[in-house]
Amino acid sequence: MQSYEYYAPRSLPDALEYLAENAKNCRIIAGGTDLIPALRNEDIHPAFLLNIMEIAEVGGISETEQTVRIGAITTFNDLAESGLIRKEFPILSEMALSVGGPQTRNRGTIGGNIASAAPAADGLPVFLSLDAEVELSSRRGKRNLPLNEAIAKAWTPAWGNDELITAIRIKKLPSGTRTAFYKLARRQAMARSRMTISLILRRDPAGIIEELRFVPGSVMPVPRRMEEIEKLLTGKVPTDELLDQAARAVGEEMVKVTGIRWSTGYKKPVLGNLFRIVLSQLITAG
Amino acid sequence: MAKDQDKTILKMTVNGEPVEVAVNPAWTLLRVIREELGLTGTKEGCGIGDCGACTVLLEGKTVNSCLVLALQAEGKEVRTVEGLGTEENLDPLQESFIEYGAVQCGFCTPGMLISARALLDKNPHPTTEEIKVAISGNLCRCTGYVKIIQAIEIVAQEG
Repeated sequence: MQSYEYYAPRSLPDALEYLAENAKNCRIIAGGTDLIPALRNEDIHPAFLLNIMEIAEVGGISETEQTVRIGAITTFNDLAESGLIRKEFPILSEMALSVGGPQTRNRGTIGGNIASAAPAADGLPVFLSLDAEVELSSRRGKRNLPLNEAIAKAWTPAWGNDELITAIRIKKLPSGTRTAFYKLARRQAMARSRMTISLILRRDPAGIIEELRFVPGSVMPVPRRMEEIEKLLTGKVPTDELLDQAARAVGEEMVKVTGIRWSTGYKKPVLGNLFRIVLSQLITAG
Repeated sequence: MAKDQDKTILKMTVNGEPVEVAVNPAWTLLRVIREELGLTGTKEGCGIGDCGACTVLLEGKTVNSCLVLALQAEGKEVRTVEGLGTEENLDPLQESFIEYGAVQCGFCTPGMLISARALLDKNPHPTTEEIKVAISGNLCRCTGYVKIIQAIEIVAQEG
């Protein structure tokens, strides 16, 4: 049986004070979909548990002219049901609906998805493809950190243990940008992703790729943009030959990170092929 | 085991009734519902959020009660299968599950009913696909899904 002190403040300053005082042995709980199994399994033994689900400032979805701010305790269902998100970032709506089942989507939060930093996280690669920033708050103040610098290694965020992820910020995409999320799993619901593809694409009227951002999920310890592939295609018209070349390069880039493993014979060609299929669909869609 | 002095008073509303119960901060909502409140309709299957047998409504939304700390329900409304209807006056979904043979071993049934009720409260006339999505977090190892979907469809058509 776990033994910890539990605290559920309604104000952010109270939460940050508590976190600063107990940083060493405090765990933050939001939706609990990762944390509660870890507690049950005795993988972790915190002395303090800080519930942030009652803090209004850590929730909500809002926009300015340039950016959208998504509070860290926004659940996957909140995300899926948001008209603003569907309009600005349909890739996030698609991703949110693919996570777990209705019950886990009603509890799991985007802040938790990022802070847990699981290799098979669904939200993390999509937010990376959107060049998101995380808003971190602590007693020391507030700062924004690019998401691609926010994960130290699998399961480990790179921010301080007195800092709380309070929101995700994303710049709105230029008009004409297309996005796609694809998830490969053993079944449709309640499935851990085998692989995901997150793509952001913008082409000029002549069909030349102006911008491409690509993040494969579930295939590397920490997901990241595959800049080598983005460079290979940017500034060019995506011919069949070029797409074939890019698909092969995707598998090779993955192997550079992961090395050869038991699953490589499967993942290397399949990841490349999925990339090619999803990108081709985005191209023919417009 | 936790000593009594480690307990905190939890106040919430369960099936419309206010309740106050002394809980250990390590307990899940599921444990409190079953073992402290004696509402054993809600089942524990996997205990890690995969099977949906422990599904309840928290503030009107389906959640796996094994993945909610009891204290996270402070001040909130919880509805369990016992709150769907009474023995004399069952929820139409319960009637339909009985009539159309949607119950085999029965272990998934309370969770299925709660997920179906949440769907119909929000969307009284769902498509078959919407029904499948709504119960996609509830596993039935008797694999009686076809009858369960039929039973929900009948209520959706009548309702």
